[in-house]
Amino acid sequence: MEYILTVMVLIGINVVLATSFNLILGYGGLMSVAHPIFYAIGAYCSGLLAIHLQIPVPLSILIGAGIAMVLSFGVSLPSLRVSGDYLVIASIGFQLGILHVINNLDFTGAAGGLTNIPVLNEGPSRSLVFVLLIAVVAACAVLLVAWIVEGDYGRAITAMRNDEEAFSALGRNAMNIKIVLFAIGSGMAGLAGALYAHYFAYVTPEQFGIFTSAALLTMVVVGGAATTWGPLVGAVLLTTLPQAITFLGLPVSIMAPLQGVIYTTLVIFFLFARPQGLTGGSRGGGGLEAWSASAAFRARRDAE
Amino acid sequence: MSAIVRVENLHKSFGGIVVADDVNLSFETGEIVGLIGPNGAGKTSLFNLISGVIPPDAGSIFLEDHRVDQLPMHHRARIGLARTWQNTRMFHSMSVIDNLLIATRRYPGESLARILFRRRALDAFRQEATEKAVALLERVGLADKMHEMAIELSYGQQKRIGLARTLMSDAACLLLDEPMAGVEGQAYETIIRVIREEAQAGRAVCVVEHNISFIRDISDRTVFMFNGCVLASGSVEELTRDSQLTDLYFGGEHPQ
Ligand SMILES: Nc1ncnc2c1ncn2[C@@H]1O[C@H](COP(=O)(O)OP(=O)(O)O)[C@@H](O)[C@H]1O
Ligand SMILES: [Mg+2]
Repeated sequence: MEYILTVMVLIGINVVLATSFNLILGYGGLMSVAHPIFYAIGAYCSGLLAIHLQIPVPLSILIGAGIAMVLSFGVSLPSLRVSGDYLVIASIGFQLGILHVINNLDFTGAAGGLTNIPVLNEGPSRSLVFVLLIAVVAACAVLLVAWIVEGDYGRAITAMRNDEEAFSALGRNAMNIKIVLFAIGSGMAGLAGALYAHYFAYVTPEQFGIFTSAALLTMVVVGGAATTWGPLVGAVLLTTLPQAITFLGLPVSIMAPLQGVIYTTLVIFFLFARPQGLTGGSRGGGGLEAWSASAAFRARRDAE
Repeated sequence: MSAIVRVENLHKSFGGIVVADDVNLSFETGEIVGLIGPNGAGKTSLFNLISGVIPPDAGSIFLEDHRVDQLPMHHRARIGLARTWQNTRMFHSMSVIDNLLIATRRYPGESLARILFRRRALDAFRQEATEKAVALLERVGLADKMHEMAIELSYGQQKRIGLARTLMSDAACLLLDEPMAGVEGQAYETIIRVIREEAQAGRAVCVVEHNISFIRDISDRTVFMFNGCVLASGSVEELTRDSQLTDLYFGGEHPQ
C-alpha cells in the first residue's frame, strides 16, 4: 500500500513537472531543456531553508518555488538573444553549471545529496494525506496552464511560437511572453521540487540531470505537446512504466540503460510518427513542430 | 506634404553583399511610392531595416521625426510602422480572423495581469477588434474565409490576409512587399482599391512589386533600386524611358 501511495506521489510530481514543461516547450516553443534545474532549485532551497533556518515547511516550500521563479530569468533573459537550437545549448549549460555547483558545495550535501530534510506532514496516514495534497496541486497546475493558453493570451503565445518575427512586426512584445512563461513554468517546477524534498526527506544532484530532462521531454512528447491532457497522460504512463519494469526483476546494470533506451525510442518514434502525441488532434505538436520530421509538419512549415 | 518616414544615409551589408548603400528616401503622407528593381536589389532588406528586423550598419531612420533605428521591432510597429512579408508569414496554426486579431493596436491579451484584473475593458477591446477584423476581411473580399486556417488558403489569399492584418493597427506607414504576387482576377482590383483608400486616409505607402503595370497604376512616384543603391526616382514612364535602367531591370529584354 505504502508503495502504491509513493508511486502516486511521484505521478503527481511528474504531472506538475510535465505540465509546466509543456507550457514552456510545447506552448511557448521555447527550446529549453533546463526544466529539472528549477525542480532542483525548489527542492534544495526549500530543504536548506527548513534545515538551517528552521523556517516552517509550508513557508519554505513557497519560498523555494519563488526562488525557482526568480532564477528562471537566468534562462529567459539570455533567450532574448538566442532562440531555437541555441537556446537548447544555452539551457543545457545553465542546467549543468548549477548542478556542478550543487555537486561541489558542502552545505548542499555535495554529490551525496541533502539529507534529513524535515517532512511536510507526519502521522500514520502521512502518505495518503500527501497524495491528496499533490493531487490538488497537480489539478491546479493543469488548470492554471489551461487558463494561460486559452483566449487572448493563448492566441498571442501561439502566434509567437508560429513566427516570432511576424509577431513582433505586428507590435507585440515577444520577450514579455517568454519571461512570463519561463517564470510561471519554472515556479511550478520549483514547487514540485520542494514538495518532493519534504516528502522523501532526501534529494541528490543526479536526480536533476539530463536524464530527467529526457524523461520530462518524453512525457510531453508522448502525451502530446501543446495539449491540456497530454503531459498528464505522459506523466502517468512514464512514471508507471518504469515501475512496472522493476517487477521483471532485472538487475540494475540492465535496468538503468533500458530506461534510457525506452525514453529515447519513444521520443524518436513519436516525433516521427505521431508528433501530436497520444492526445493531440491533427494539428498538435506545438513547439515541437520544428523538431518533428513528419511529412505533414514539414509540408506545412515549408509552405511558408 | 510631410514625411512620415525618412531614411538618411542608410548602409547595410551582409559580408560582401551590400543591400543598402547610402540610401536616402522619404515617404510622405498620402503618397504611394513604388519600389522596383531586380531580384536581390535590396528592396526587402530596406523593409527589414525600416521595420527593425535587421539593424543598419550606419545611417538613421525617422518615423514622424522620431528617430527609430535603435528601437526594437515591436516598438516601431506600435508607433506606426506596419509591413507585410514577401512570403506571407501567416501564423500557421491559427485561423484567418485570429491572424488579424493579433495585430490590433490595443491587443486585449498582452498581459496576464490585465486579463485577471481588467476583464471588462478587455471585453470591449476584443469586441472592437473583432468588428474591425471582420470589416477588413470584407474589404479584401475574404470575410467568408474568416474561420479557416490561414495556411490552408491560396498564396494570393494569404497575401490579402497579410495586407488586412497590417491594416489592423492604423499604422501611419505601410510597407507592402509584393502584395500582388499570386493575386488574380477581381482580387487584383480589390487590392488596388484598398491601397488607394489607405493612402487617401493619410498613410504613407511603399509598395514593392515586380508587376510594372501595377506600379504604373498605383504609384505617385517610383524608386528604382539596384545593388542596394537608389539609382533613380520618378514616374514609371520616366524610369522606363531610361534604357540603362531597363537593361538593369530586365537584363536586356524590353518591358511589357
Ligand atoms: N539576412 C541576410 N543575410 C545575408 N544575406 C542577405 C540577408 N537578407 C538578404 N540578403 C541578401 O541581400 C540581397 C538583397 O536581398 P533582398 O533585399 O531580399 O532583395 P530583393 O527584395 O530586392 O529581391 C540578396 O543577395 C540576398 O541574398
Ligand atoms: Mg524581396
